Order: sequence, then structure tokens, then C-alpha cells
Amino acid sequence: MKGKCYIQGMAAISPQQTFEGDLSAQPIVISSSNMLSCVEPDYRAFIPGNSLRRMSRILKMGLTAALKALQDSGIETPGAIVTGTGKGSLQDTERFIKEIRDYNEQALNPTPFIQSTYNAVNGLIALQQKCTQYNNTFVHRGFSFENALLDSMLLLHEGKTDVLAGAFEEITTEHFYIKSRIGQWKSENISNDTLYQHFSPGTISGEGAAFFLLSSTSTNKTYAELAGLKMLYKPSLEKLDTALQTFLKQQGVQPEEIDLVLTGRNADINYERYYHVLDTRLGNIPQLPFKHLCGEYDTAGAFALWLGAQLLKTQQLPVQWFPMLQSPPAKLRNLLIYNNFFGEQHVFMLLKAI
Amino acid sequence: MAERVYITGMGMITAIGDDVAGNLQSLRSKQSGLGFTSHLDTIYKEKLPVAEVKYTTLQLSEIAGVAGIDGYTRTTLLGLIAMREALAQAGITDVQQEPTAFINASTVGGMCDTENVYFDIVNPDKTGDFLKFIDTLDCADCTQRIADTIGITEHIATISTACSSSANALMYGARLIKAGLTRRVICGGTEALTRFTLNGFNSLKNIDKHPCRPFDNQRNGLNLGEGAAYMVLESESLVKENNSVVLAELSGYANTNEAFHPTSPSPDGDGAYAAMKDALAMSGRTIADVQYVNVHGTATLTNDVSEGKALQRLFGETVPKFSSTKPFTGHTLAAAGAIEAIYSVLAIRHQLVFPNLNFTERMEELYVAPETQLLEGYPIQHVISNSFGFGGNNASLVISNYEG
Repeated sequence: MKGKCYIQGMAAISPQQTFEGDLSAQPIVISSSNMLSCVEPDYRAFIPGNSLRRMSRILKMGLTAALKALQDSGIETPGAIVTGTGKGSLQDTERFIKEIRDYNEQALNPTPFIQSTYNAVNGLIALQQKCTQYNNTFVHRGFSFENALLDSMLLLHEGKTDVLAGAFEEITTEHFYIKSRIGQWKSENISNDTLYQHFSPGTISGEGAAFFLLSSTSTNKTYAELAGLKMLYKPSLEKLDTALQTFLKQQGVQPEEIDLVLTGRNADINYERYYHVLDTRLGNIPQLPFKHLCGEYDTAGAFALWLGAQLLKTQQLPVQWFPMLQSPPAKLRNLLIYNNFFGEQHVFMLLKAI
Repeated sequence: MAERVYITGMGMITAIGDDVAGNLQSLRSKQSGLGFTSHLDTIYKEKLPVAEVKYTTLQLSEIAGVAGIDGYTRTTLLGLIAMREALAQAGITDVQQEPTAFINASTVGGMCDTENVYFDIVNPDKTGDFLKFIDTLDCADCTQRIADTIGITEHIATISTACSSSANALMYGARLIKAGLTRRVICGGTEALTRFTLNGFNSLKNIDKHPCRPFDNQRNGLNLGEGAAYMVLESESLVKENNSVVLAELSGYANTNEAFHPTSPSPDGDGAYAAMKDALAMSGRTIADVQYVNVHGTATLTNDVSEGKALQRLFGETVPKFSSTKPFTGHTLAAAGAIEAIYSVLAIRHQLVFPNLNFTERMEELYVAPETQLLEGYPIQHVISNSFGFGGNNASLVISNYEG
């Protein structure tokens, strides 16, 4: 693919104070329920009250993060809107399933059905910003957001000047319980700031919405360049190792030129082996995990991208978020992200400072 | 110069046929697949017609070659059956021989099976066999099950843009080829009937109690259907290298959004017009080159006005033959775009215009009417296939005769 991909604006709603203000001043938000929930902003600044009342939680989070990212970039109507979500609006899906039963399939309110469709957030953003161009939604677990990014990079390659790409995910107590039945979460309750001291089966759950305005040209407000992206489906350890080396070679980056690796490590003993590939191959490169901040969810990669771009732009680590940090890297030029979702979908991203 | 994208394999299963040949036969003999459900547990069992694939889920697992293996939902099984036919037609015996991507489409994933056990799943007092369905609730499950069964290990993705999902899957796959990221990709979608979607569309008062009547003045809504369809897309260079048999060319496509309303299209068909116009422009053809439009034609009050207006705006006084095949297959949501793309290839290869069933009276808002007869020997070189969905998600494909 020809053409570059620069992050020109972004916004994240997450279990941390990421939506506004100076990151370096925000303390880490701690929860000990194994289920991290977003710190939600005041939506009224973004969505008119009468619309707000009808919208379920993930629609508000998704739309607001999208609008803030656009605001941040100074672009009102992007050339395309592409998103990823593994589960869409769980609240609406759950509600509609229950109402079908409770009302015996009669006189149902269509709103939860409409809002449960995975492309509902995309449609809302398009409607609100009058964006009549390309619009797509990917719904593939740990490849949802990453396919949205790839689609965006294709669009820039094909000649679009800018694209709004994003991801949104919510967790509900009901869905948390469902996934606990197949062992996705730790059986002991832990505090998220001590996640990496609890190596055991399962992890902690999370949620979030993050949006990015991607552009083919950079300016003095560019956060970072998304230089490379690689997805791997159920790779063996050997294939993962080879793919990492190939990826770096294709990007023209030597392992020692990477200043920091953001990893999706989540203290789940079932999938820890994949991170050992990284440890072995990039042994001398500083690593920072991010899942203690956002929890595990299909589109956690979007939080990682937001965090990585933030670090590259500010050249500053919010040290209070990373108690495990020994010594911060002196400079941040090349930042590698590696994440996997329950061992199935694996992703490398390379971010470069401007 | 970007590579051209060719269709080298097709596979499908719908209420009117277990494979492509079966579908063609039913289309030719005007055999609709609409009737009452035998598999869905709903109070509308004998009230709302649907186009159901006639096999039980157990029978589907046998046809798909996975009988006795746990965890295959009806959605996955329909997809697997269509996938196997597409591979066979493309002459692919080992999918690993050429890196092959898979772009699938789904609207509610494995809901067809999970909705029957959902209240057991959320009840801590219950345990049992149903726990195997926990991971089938999302849309990626069917994609990965199909990929794993046939051995796809390369790029995979699932798209969900409501009724335009599989048209977008075809488009994304074609773009991956044009960008040089893959030389072969299998694209399409799969959809099983669910109580969830039936009640969803019914709560929107979008379902007709009678067989649907697309583009008819008395139309009163859609009928849902189920099915799956996949196309094997290959780059021009791979086709040359392998001497692949080409069925048709995917020569143009466009995705637009109406930005009008969450569930209703604009009355003037702005999104539909833009999608068709842009897809045609991309194919390098003009309106005079199009002989047939396989319309979205759901028979809802709003879709047909909007789409009809768009046809009139684009083609003026020379609207080509058009028909909706939804009275045959029902509206198969995520599978519809791929099913109708295959029908478009069949229209070209067999020089056919399919009849728009159940039409009697032209819509008062339009000066055009659909073709109601089966036209054999009709010269077709280029077809537009439309898929429009909730959220204003519109997609049009242009499929062209392969001239060799």
C-alpha cells in the first residue's frame, strides 16, 4: 500500500480519566470487582438532551468519543467512518431478548432492536455529522478495530484525505457472568493496579470507546504515524515469532530501534506463552502492559493505540499509571504494540513519532 | 494499475435451493421459498411467512460434513455448506495452496441457537450442554468456525452493516486484492432465521403477513429468509497464473451512507442513487451499458419508494429491466448481498432476467415497474446489484460479463 496514515485527532472514554484534562495529573482509577467500567463524561456537551434520553449507553459512549475525536482534529465531516466492535450494544441485545420473552413476542418496543444492530453507532455518527460517504462496521472479536484500521488505511491509499476510525465496547454484569462460565475472568477478585501480581487462569474485563481521525498528511498537531499493522489468526508460537521479525523488517525498523513495547499482557496464565515470544525476541526493549488500565475486551487494541499515540506526542509517561515502570525511556520514537484476544486474534502495530 | 477482480467460484444455500444450480432452477420455474416455519419457535409460526431452508439443523450438519461435532450453529452450518460449494466450483481442494483471505458477514451471529438457551446461560442454577453455545453469541464465531473447518489461516474479518453486510464483504475483499494485500479472498455472508430478528422487524411493522410484493402499490412489508452465499474472488494475475475459470468480473462497487434516519431511507433515494452512480463510474461503464438491476426491493413502504426514485434519477427515461428476487428467498439480511450477487452472475451467464413475483399494480410514486416475467435469452453484459440497510448503509455492486 502506498500513502501514509497519521493520527490527527483522537479521544478515548475508558475506565481511566482519559477523556479530558492533563493525563499526567490523573490518578489511576482502581476497581476490585474484576470488571472495569468506563469513567463516563457529561454527554450533554456533545448530544442534545432529547436524543440522549433515547440512546443506550454504548451509543452515547461511541458517539461522544467520535465527536470529541473530530473536534480534536478540527475536521467536522470526515471522508469515511469505519468502526469495530466485538459485541455492539449488549444492553440493547439483552433487553430485546428479555422483552421477547416477557411480552410473549407482542407489542414490542423496536428501539432496543434498532440499537442492538452493530452498525447503529456508525449510522448515528454519519447522521449527526452529515457524512454521506463510505461507512463500514467490523465485528470480529480481537480483529474488529484492527480491520477498521486496515479499511481506513486502504481508503487513504485509494485517495481519501481523511477517515474517522474507532471502536466501542461495553461490558454488562450479565455478560460478565456469561463469560465467567467459560473461565474468561479470574476466580479471585483483584485490584486492577495489582493485576500482574496475580498470574492465574483468566483476566479482568473491561470496556471502552476510542476514535481517531486518520489522515494521509501530517501537520504540526499530528499525534503519531501509524506506520504498520499486522493481524495473525491463531498463529503457532513459531509463526508469531517469524511474523514479528517479518513485520519489523517490512517497516525497516531494527529491533533495537524500538523504544517501547505496549503489550496486551493480562496476567492470564492460559495465554502468557505468546508474550514470551516477545520477551525472547525483544529482550532488551522496555515493555509496558496496558490491560490493568482498560481491562480485557474485544477492542482493547484501540485503547492501546490511543495510549501509544498519546505517549509519542507528549513524550511523557503518566508514571502514576505504571507502578511497574523501572526507568522511563529517554526518548520515544518507535513504539510497538502487541496484543492478542484470548490467544485467537494477534495484532502488531507500529507507531512512529513525528 | 490496480488489478482487476474476477469471480471464480460461487456457492449458496437458500430456501429455494441447496446449491447454485438448485437456486437457478427455482428462479426459472418461479418457485418461491416462502412458507411457514418448521424450525423457529415463535407465536408467529403460522402467521408470518418466512423463506426457510427446509433442513433441520441436524440435517444441515450432515450436509456440511460435520455431523456429531459440537458447537456448530445453524448460521455456521449454512455458511459452511455454501463455502464448500464455492471452493469446489473454484477448483480449490487445498485452501492453503494460495494464501486465502475470508471476509464474512453476519447480523446476529449464532443468535438462532443462543436465543433458545439464553435464559439457562444467565441462570447460575443451571448447568449443562448449553454452555457450548456461550461463545457463539457474537458474529465472529461463525466466521472462525468456517475458517477453521476448511483450513483458512490468513486474513479473516466479519462485517455487520445490517442488510448490506455481505455486499460490503465483497467490496472489502475486492479492495484487499486491488491493494495487493491478497490475491485470493472468499467473501459473502450467512444468516439463519431467529426469533430475535423476526420480532425486531415485526416490532417495526415491517413484515407482511402475505408473500411480499416488491414495487407493488399495495406492498406491505418484507418477509425474512435465511441462507448463505460466498464468492471466490481472485486477482487477474492469479487467474492467469492458475488458468482459473472466470465466471464474471466484479467491476465496480460503492458504499455510501444516507445520513438521513436510523431505519428509514430518504424519500428521494439519495443514498441509493449515490451508491449506484459511484459503482457504475468505478466500473467505467455508463447507464446505457446496464441491462439489468437486481434491486434491493424489500417491499417495505419506504425502501421501494426510495430505490425506485433513485433508479429514475439515475436512468431517467431508460430504466433497464429490474426485479427483486426477495419473493423467492425472503430478505436474508447479511446473506442477501452475496446471494443476489450470485443471481447477478447467473443473469449474465444464462442471459436471464428473473421475474419479480407478486407484482400487479405500479406504485403511484413511480413511472417504472419491475419485470414480472422470466426473460430468457435477454442480452445482459452488466448488472447492478443493490443492498441497502439500517443505519443508512447502502452498497451497490456492478457485475460484468468476462470477455476473456
